[in-house]
Amino acid sequence: MANIPILNIRNIHKRFGDLEVLHGISLTANQGDVISLIGSSGSGKSTFLRCINLLETPDQGDIELDGQAIEFSINRAGKRVASDAKQIQTLRSRIAMVFQQFNLWSHMTVLENVTEAPICVQGLPRAEAKEIGMAFLEKVGIADKANLYPAFMSGGQQQRAAIARALAMRPEAILFDEPTSALDPELVGEVLAVMRQLAEEGTTMIVVTHEMTFARDVSNKTLFLHDGIIEEQGDPDTLFSSPESNRLQQFLSSAMD
Amino acid sequence: MFDSLMQTAFMQDVVILAKPALFNLYFALVSIPVGFPLAILFAVGKGSGNKLISIFSRGFIYAFRGSPLFIQFFMFYSIMLALNKPLWKPLGVDDFILHPLFLGPLVLVLNTCAYSAEIFYGALKSTPKGEVEAAQAMGMSPFNVFRKVTWPNMLRLAWPAYTNEMVFLFHATAIVYFTLPVINEQKDLMNKAGELFEKDYNLFLHFTVAGLYFLTISMVLFWLAGLVQKRLNRHITGAKPLSFRLFPRSRSSQ
Repeated sequence: MANIPILNIRNIHKRFGDLEVLHGISLTANQGDVISLIGSSGSGKSTFLRCINLLETPDQGDIELDGQAIEFSINRAGKRVASDAKQIQTLRSRIAMVFQQFNLWSHMTVLENVTEAPICVQGLPRAEAKEIGMAFLEKVGIADKANLYPAFMSGGQQQRAAIARALAMRPEAILFDEPTSALDPELVGEVLAVMRQLAEEGTTMIVVTHEMTFARDVSNKTLFLHDGIIEEQGDPDTLFSSPESNRLQQFLSSAMD
Repeated sequence: MFDSLMQTAFMQDVVILAKPALFNLYFALVSIPVGFPLAILFAVGKGSGNKLISIFSRGFIYAFRGSPLFIQFFMFYSIMLALNKPLWKPLGVDDFILHPLFLGPLVLVLNTCAYSAEIFYGALKSTPKGEVEAAQAMGMSPFNVFRKVTWPNMLRLAWPAYTNEMVFLFHATAIVYFTLPVINEQKDLMNKAGELFEKDYNLFLHFTVAGLYFLTISMVLFWLAGLVQKRLNRHITGAKPLSFRLFPRSRSSQ
């Protein structure tokens, strides 16, 4: 168990038209890992995260979930696509995602947001899904908002609801795409606190973030991306205290201000 | 008092035109519910990745949005008449197929389907991308993504324009009998008002009463559509849907 990584991602390349934004990125996530991806905007960290659950299809490279490789093929237009729809759905239901803009389903209440996917993807009975949903809302501290629509809540509450929605799938890992970047400064803390708690409980997380303190304190592995490659990676303490590359030194000095 | 009111020419028209109004209502009430699901199919078809389906849907929508309804009635009636001898008569369905109560709604369905499809297509394109992505990222199948996320958003975005289309369609029923034959006493508001006009040349009276029937029924349509709108927007803060109360609450009772 311990030697099979949850996610094994090798040599991901991604092009948008003529522009190649990822030039071969690899990452391995083991059970309980908290991996932070840092880098300036445009470095490709969000694109890489989106490649992991195939919201973007990598033009090259392999993705393995629990040792199972995702199958790709070339379609008639000459584009690379994941060939097995069922396999994509399985991958996505096991690797949950939290977005920068929360992306809660606006026409559903918070509880409905949390129970929808467990019911219609995992086939959970409604009552059970509700029970689990309420437990996770409790965990992120918004159980009292269960019957509100997202538009009636603050950004921080919405993002916590989105985290509960991801947790309710009981995924093997959660991807966070700049979860606090769209929040007012005073609301960032409540979301980071929830994420910190998840990390302490051993949740496997891959986090794209601009919160350097979070990356340093909470993650056990940090990747610094620059221009679509991993410029530097390793243990966050070492990385933050003695960065080797010039780029990371520059980035940290401007990010830590 | 009541008797003398009923004796007025106005009230007599109201009574005479009540039954013809039902024919206009019939045309609308049959066409709208049939046209609605078809329009959704054509909207999804137009947005489809499949080239053949997309081109077919675009062509259909263009043909029926690009030509006057009046001509569509003529075209269909003449095509159906031409097919009578080789097709409908041998099959024994000629009475049914050529009946205005069938042909009328048929043309109206195709027409409203094209207009509504364009409305729904626009709404489909405006569905929040992030919400769709979140559903995909949860592992929902494409059908479930549509049913759970795209569809409710699409309906909400399309509803005000679709309300317009429903009312337009109801008004369009006024030209059904300009092309299709009147059978027995099956006359709509326009027929009957025209008939009354030919008797006394009181253009103003008869067509005003016919117009009032259209206004009244439209009001009910607006009101019902407003209720739906309210329901569709219930999750939006401060949403003020286009609805009005038939009997507004007085200020004092609030």
